Amino acid sequence: MKNTTLAFAFVSPALLFLLAVLGWPLVQAAILSFQDVGVIGSEGHFIGLGNYATILGGAGFWRALGRSVVWVLSNAVVQTLLALAAALILNQKFPGVRIARTWIILTWIVPTVVVVIIWRWLLSSSGGMINPLLIQAGVIERPVGFFATREGAMTTLIMINSWRWFPFTTLMMLAGLTRIPGDLYEAARIDGAGTFQRFKRITWPLLQPTLMVLGVVGTLLSFNVFDVIWLLTAGGPSGATQTLPVLIYETAFKGYRLSEAATISVLTSILLMGFAFLTTRAMTAAEADR
Amino acid sequence: MRRTFGQSLSLYGGVLVIVLAIGLPFWWVLTGSIKLPKEIIQRVPTMVPHSFTLQHFEKLLQASDFPIYLLNSMVVALFSTAFTVLLALPAAYAFFRMEFPGRNALYKTILLAYAFPGVVVLIPLYGLFAKVGLTDSPVALVIVNVAFALPFSIWMMRSFLATVPREIEEAAVVDGAPTTTILIRILMPLIAPGIASVAIFAFISSWTEFLFASVLIVSDARRTIPVGFAGIIGQYQIDWGLLLAGATAAIIPVVALFALVGRWFVSGLTDGAVK
Repeated sequence: MKNTTLAFAFVSPALLFLLAVLGWPLVQAAILSFQDVGVIGSEGHFIGLGNYATILGGAGFWRALGRSVVWVLSNAVVQTLLALAAALILNQKFPGVRIARTWIILTWIVPTVVVVIIWRWLLSSSGGMINPLLIQAGVIERPVGFFATREGAMTTLIMINSWRWFPFTTLMMLAGLTRIPGDLYEAARIDGAGTFQRFKRITWPLLQPTLMVLGVVGTLLSFNVFDVIWLLTAGGPSGATQTLPVLIYETAFKGYRLSEAATISVLTSILLMGFAFLTTRAMTAAEADR
Repeated sequence: MRRTFGQSLSLYGGVLVIVLAIGLPFWWVLTGSIKLPKEIIQRVPTMVPHSFTLQHFEKLLQASDFPIYLLNSMVVALFSTAFTVLLALPAAYAFFRMEFPGRNALYKTILLAYAFPGVVVLIPLYGLFAKVGLTDSPVALVIVNVAFALPFSIWMMRSFLATVPREIEEAAVVDGAPTTTILIRILMPLIAPGIASVAIFAFISSWTEFLFASVLIVSDARRTIPVGFAGIIGQYQIDWGLLLAGATAAIIPVVALFALVGRWFVSGLTDGAVK
């Protein structure tokens, strides 16, 4: 069907809406980053690259960037491993598999604040289930504060966030797995390949395109995670879990340095867009190679 | 194909681990919400509740602002869902069924918007909403929720539109039906599962949204569930019974919705994923 006018009529409401709500604010953020606005609503003056010098010259931005990198990479590793295992299981036939494939996403559809309540409670030292379980299993001797130390807080957050997101990843991988022709496994079996051999020679290589897409999307999505971190640790203890989104939020709404926050936002956007651009190009190139 | 005993064992062992890892925390919350306070904070927790009470739910509904938060969340989520579907459907149709210049570039730009950090536009958006007098208004939340749900919703419609054979539309064109009629009368029933998926995604996104709701809404009476709860969590003395009852009550709407159309949602999520 060729009807260019009608096509534009269909697309433009969504497009204009996105432009107004996401595109225009981005331009505003860029403008703000060259000014010296403090509290929301106050007037700003043009100060050139002053904010960029402050941000790039200070340690806060770089530390938060480092934490974001740790956060994204750890989440990627944990979630990929969990999701791969779960997807391989759900790719089998067993009674109830359809129900399992639907309801595994439960952790992802409930509000983040519910996830926060669940884990705050389960991990708490009074009435929480996890401490007694670990003591019974002999892993620890007395109740521990999961968010008390710097490393502990980060690790716990990564685990909770992975718990929330790995079902989503599982479903994406499952989609990739169901696209691998069953004949391949049959042929390999006849040739005498074992379970591990079949995984290594068929599943793993044919899952690569799916994993690459997930790598890009997952990186961007987990980079953006704010509410789980904010509601569980607020970036603490002493900044140990302050990733870039948390830093932006804190600078703007706790520190009342709006222009500085806008500057970090712009830098973050440039980083993410650069990442998205480079990875999609690499993926297109890899696709062309095949 | 038959499995060996070892294969069956590892398969069902794996299934059990998944079920426990996901189900157990929810089970504890669910049962915790009907336990007496002294059982909730008991040193050795109970798997199956030994006590039964509805006092937490009573308190939630009568002595807390939860009913107001629930109503606010409902209103915002329903409007967000309606507008997301209204904007996503025609756009998806144009992207996946029509030809027009710049289609690919526009489509990729929209996809990029999906992965964009909300916190980045939060600051300028706050300023813009303040200028037009929309801060502390549910309208602002609807606008933001639609914007963030839209890219993914358009993308998700792709696989559902692909299941409709082009011949059906072509036959209608030959019969002289105008395009809008084709879209509404013929296509709509065929892609109903897709519309349901988009609707559930938009509803869930709005239902869970915290960041914008926490900044754009100032007065207590206009808060949504996530922000209202965050206020209770932040208090010094945490009333776990109340929170667990609240968590249970906040889970119910999405679970009910998901029970109805969850299967389609999952297929929309996965079928669009690869290519």
